[in-house]
Amino acid sequence: MDTSRSYLEPSSFSKKLAATIIIVYTVITLIPISWMVMTSFKNVNSAISYPPEVLFEPSLEGYVNLFTNRSRQSQEYLDSLPAPETWYEELVRSREMVITGPSKFLGRYSNSMIIGFGSTFASVFLGALAAYAFSRFRVPLKDDLLFFILSTRMFPPIAVAVPIFIMYRKLGLGDTHLGMIILYTVVNLSLAVWLLKGFMDEIPKEYEEAAMIDGYSRLQAFFKVVLPQAMTGIAATAIFCMIFSWNEYAFAVLLTQFNAQTAPPFIPTIIGEGGLDWPAIGAGTTLFLLPVMIFTIILRKHLLRGITFGAVRK
Amino acid sequence: MSVKKKFKGLSDKAVAWLFIGPSVFLLLAINIYPLIYAIRMSFTNFYANKIGREPQFVGLKNYIKVLNKEAIWEKMQVTANFMFWTLLLQAVIGLGLALLLNRKFKGNELLTTLIVLPMMLSPAVVGVFWTYLYNPQVGLFNYVINFFYDFGSFDMIGSSELAPWSIVIVDTWMWTPFTMLICLAGLRSVPNYLYEAAEVDRASKWQQFIYITLPSVLPFLLLALLFRGIENFKMFDMVVELTSGGPGSATELASINLKREAFEKWKTGYSSAFAVILFVTIFGFGNVYVKVMNKIKER
Repeated sequence: MDTSRSYLEPSSFSKKLAATIIIVYTVITLIPISWMVMTSFKNVNSAISYPPEVLFEPSLEGYVNLFTNRSRQSQEYLDSLPAPETWYEELVRSREMVITGPSKFLGRYSNSMIIGFGSTFASVFLGALAAYAFSRFRVPLKDDLLFFILSTRMFPPIAVAVPIFIMYRKLGLGDTHLGMIILYTVVNLSLAVWLLKGFMDEIPKEYEEAAMIDGYSRLQAFFKVVLPQAMTGIAATAIFCMIFSWNEYAFAVLLTQFNAQTAPPFIPTIIGEGGLDWPAIGAGTTLFLLPVMIFTIILRKHLLRGITFGAVRK
Repeated sequence: MSVKKKFKGLSDKAVAWLFIGPSVFLLLAINIYPLIYAIRMSFTNFYANKIGREPQFVGLKNYIKVLNKEAIWEKMQVTANFMFWTLLLQAVIGLGLALLLNRKFKGNELLTTLIVLPMMLSPAVVGVFWTYLYNPQVGLFNYVINFFYDFGSFDMIGSSELAPWSIVIVDTWMWTPFTMLICLAGLRSVPNYLYEAAEVDRASKWQQFIYITLPSVLPFLLLALLFRGIENFKMFDMVVELTSGGPGSATELASINLKREAFEKWKTGYSSAFAVILFVTIFGFGNVYVKVMNKIKER
């Protein structure tokens, strides 16, 4: 049989068959995401039409609704107002509503940014230090320490949430940016240490030894020789930490309410009049998922390492 | 060793502690201390919302209560059922996709990246937008299913028979790329000479698959399932947003129940005992699994 050619060189027929199945799978798996993006450009009525509309007149209503608070007004009141100055005001008025102010979305989104960047920087910095020490020095109980660091990732977040809640209440860290930054830094530390240790193991010791013979101290050699060499690994690790903080939900929903709440617990609460405002939720989802998708494409070469804490390298 | 002392600056030992110290301190303060705190609370009748009331030591009462409560075993069953189906589906589909992707056809790098996208998204947000896809009146999922076979109106989230499947489907959609990616690494790690030798011996393609491919991928697949197993045992965010444990308690996983006891009923002592039991379970199973995995690897 022709198909029983080797694994090393699949026949062109079997290649084509494999490619076809994979393409079909890819299309199916991307439908939910594309559907959400499409919904964000629908108007409220076409989002709840049945059968679902694949072709529709694009509208920015979802995005306008996402960023504003509105209230319904009578036609007489609307007629008494001066003509709308902007296109979004006009859009809102055509739905018999007026804009009463900006929504909370921008604040929640920037909370996600602040907490994400802050914790990413801290965990990568601390992780790089620890990873270097684990990679280069004889540390007593090294394997136990490394395993301890990894095991902290196995805790169900809810199990430690109550003590952290009480602790934060005492320290005044509850519902603050600093509290969330510290928390996410710690959650990401295990990943940062394990990943960066792998990357640092790959940098030859001879580099910094040569620098130290030239008169650098150990610290100088680390900051001026090793860190620049590990830049790719550091960038990949940083993106992984950023994605985690960006996506985290359990701690955010339990420990924050008004001040430091991030976007994931907020997006589900976007509710329109008389039911869920799907275009607005779609718009929030799209804006929230976009950075992660871009990061994933940048990361694709290091993906495997990141998701297995460095256990599998290509 | 003695050579290194000639370099200027701090000694290596001092640098090592300086570098590791802050990380270990933070982990102790924000992870281990809360855990010990939780263990201590699990022996008391503490209610976190009642400030000023001294908690009393109650011994093992909370643990006995948790283990004797029938509802807890129901939650564990829901969790076990969720884990069984998600791991099975993700193992089979993930391995299948990896085998296909390994036939290095043109464009497979790009397709791999696209397939991986769902698993990078925020589980809570994924849960939210699937409630739209599952909507019984206007959902795309229901439309597509009815397009192929007309079941009439059905509600994936609202019906207690279908709801457990609704979370299995979303988790499988999201995380199959994870097993796929790891299996793919396993397939690529098989040295070519094994297949070359097998061909010289005239082994059929099927025999090559059973005796070379499968044993080499197995440790990778088991590793992927370990990661997924731990994550799905802790599963909270996606399911909370999708079904919030309902209808009734059809999809109330252990973590969701724990959150209700701890943050809605504020039974801190009781829920801490439950948390400790969950933690010991995950740790115990994890350790046994790793031992079995290492035995398989050695063979």
